Amino acid sequence: MNSTWQAEIGAVFRKELKTELRTKSGLFSSGLFSIIAVIAVALAGYGERIDPTMGAGLFWVTLLFSAMISLPRAFVSEEEAGTGDQLRLLARPHAVFWGKALFNMLLMAATSVVLSVMFVVFTNLKVDHLLLFALSLAGGCVALAISVTLCGALVAQATNRSALAGVIGIPLLLPFVAMGVGALRVSLGSGSVNSGLISCGGLYAFALLMGAAAPNLYAAIWKG
Amino acid sequence: MLSVEGVGKRFGDLWVFRSISFELSAGDALIVLGRNGSGKSTLLKVIAGLASPSEGKVNLPDGDSRRTLGLSALDIHLYHNLTVKEHFALAAELRGVEPDWPILEQVGLQSRFNQLVGELSSGTKARLKIAIATAAKPQVLLLDEPGVSLDEAGREAVRQICEIQRTRGCLIVATNDPLERSLGTLELDLAS
Amino acid sequence: MRWILFILILGATFATFWVPDAASFQHPELARIIFFHLPCAISTPLFLFFGSYLGLRYLRSKDKQWEIRSVAANEIGYVLALLTMATGMLFSKTQWGAWWQWDPRQTSFLLVLLLYAAYFALRMSFTDEKKRADVCAAYSCISAIPAFFLIFIFPRIPYIVQISFHPSNTIITGGFDRAYSIILSTLFVLILVLCSWIYKLSVRAGLLDLRVSELYGNMETDGSGPAPTGVVRPISLSDKS
Repeated sequence: MNSTWQAEIGAVFRKELKTELRTKSGLFSSGLFSIIAVIAVALAGYGERIDPTMGAGLFWVTLLFSAMISLPRAFVSEEEAGTGDQLRLLARPHAVFWGKALFNMLLMAATSVVLSVMFVVFTNLKVDHLLLFALSLAGGCVALAISVTLCGALVAQATNRSALAGVIGIPLLLPFVAMGVGALRVSLGSGSVNSGLISCGGLYAFALLMGAAAPNLYAAIWKG
Repeated sequence: MLSVEGVGKRFGDLWVFRSISFELSAGDALIVLGRNGSGKSTLLKVIAGLASPSEGKVNLPDGDSRRTLGLSALDIHLYHNLTVKEHFALAAELRGVEPDWPILEQVGLQSRFNQLVGELSSGTKARLKIAIATAAKPQVLLLDEPGVSLDEAGREAVRQICEIQRTRGCLIVATNDPLERSLGTLELDLAS
Repeated sequence: MRWILFILILGATFATFWVPDAASFQHPELARIIFFHLPCAISTPLFLFFGSYLGLRYLRSKDKQWEIRSVAANEIGYVLALLTMATGMLFSKTQWGAWWQWDPRQTSFLLVLLLYAAYFALRMSFTDEKKRADVCAAYSCISAIPAFFLIFIFPRIPYIVQISFHPSNTIITGGFDRAYSIILSTLFVLILVLCSWIYKLSVRAGLLDLRVSELYGNMETDGSGPAPTGVVRPISLSDKS
């Protein structure tokens, strides 16, 4: 990647960050959503002790829904504000995609930290393998950010975009979520470390495939 | 420099226009006329590559269209949460060029550098759009109703920009305004 | 040609009742749905991945005919997936005692169904044809990644094979006798030919539709008079030098 690509991706990333920090609405609402979701999950447990596998499943479903709620905004807000064409005139598609995906990764990282703390506090789950926990979450955040960024780009110009992002994003990501649960349950102390590592490897493979395909597909649909 | 060959655009079964052909060379200024809904803005977007033609093709000058082409249109909006300076710098960074600050002065925005775009009046926003469209010294400049919401001084700035544009390339203005019409050397009436 | 196909399918269907029971099932006489379930299950990914490939060709060329082909393949793939699911559920009810087992294979196929249902939801959400074609082709390509995982990788993970009720390699390990295998393969070929024939018809209808709208699209009006047609050229202004 040469310096102009870096500068262009950086420019998109900084634009997203500045716009977000000035309104704070997206950041605040996605942070709040994570907190509400964890409380809802803990309440739905009705005081029962949640076992690691169930905990890992609930954690990933919450993470998936947090992503589906906050990440498509990157592209949807461009079309809603009528700035999409401005971007198409000025920028190259790969720079736009990666700038927005990087910003979404940051958002996802923040969300997963909030979620992890909340989960540990509210469900009394213990992390047995911290490294596997961190690795699977990191891979998860990267893959979720890339995939949901693409979903946002696909639905941005559709008529019922907010519902549609979930409709296309969730089935696309469910197999990946299954791998995430596979890795996370091991890190919470259920199942063999070997199977956790395999699931974690699967997460990274999925992230890699999405990272290779998504920007190119975005570039193919970039202009009218 | 710019050639449009048999271009048509349809939405669903309805053709907005068909078989539009012309060629422009450096120094040409084409005025696109037509009633509301005749497809003036759509034609400009098709030329800019923002909408694909349903038939025919557009040949732009060689090179990266981010720098060889500039478009300012009413329905292409600016980022409201950036300042004028940040927005102008963002455009330059994305195009991979140095920001051409003097052009902001030319359109009369020198005192607005640190103001948020969302706080600007519609006329001031229109000036910023035109500044961004021309900042990379494009070979093809497309202006959609540039005079709307501009005051006398703003229109004069647009006139000057059009004159300068003709020295380095060509210009297409979509308008029904008689004053802007006088800027042209060629006309294309979409209503005919 | 189509009569021969019709007679062959009819013949093969009768043959499924004539063939002796397969001994490896709990209720062998009720296992005959396999003759339709298995060919549908194998044809589904063929059409769905073919649809993704055609979507990719569309994105590369932006030639509308590839989009028409891609949609046709995805539609047939989806119908096959629904048939696979329906026949699978019948089989599940008769052999295992419940319509739905959360068997890993059933689950993964359900996810494939959701994945492609989303494709059709996406198709309904665009008014601009070009945008719809672009976006749906891109989605068709990207959904091939999880679909590949769900169909080919997930069911073969050793742990999943262990816990699954689903027989995964009955044919390869010789679980069926010769007559069973022959009729199964014949039906597979016939279903594939039938689907290909429907695919060709669907593509032909789509291409004709495209041609008609290209030729006669300009006859349509928005109610405010005829749409502008004809060559419009720039006019040099007489009062300019």
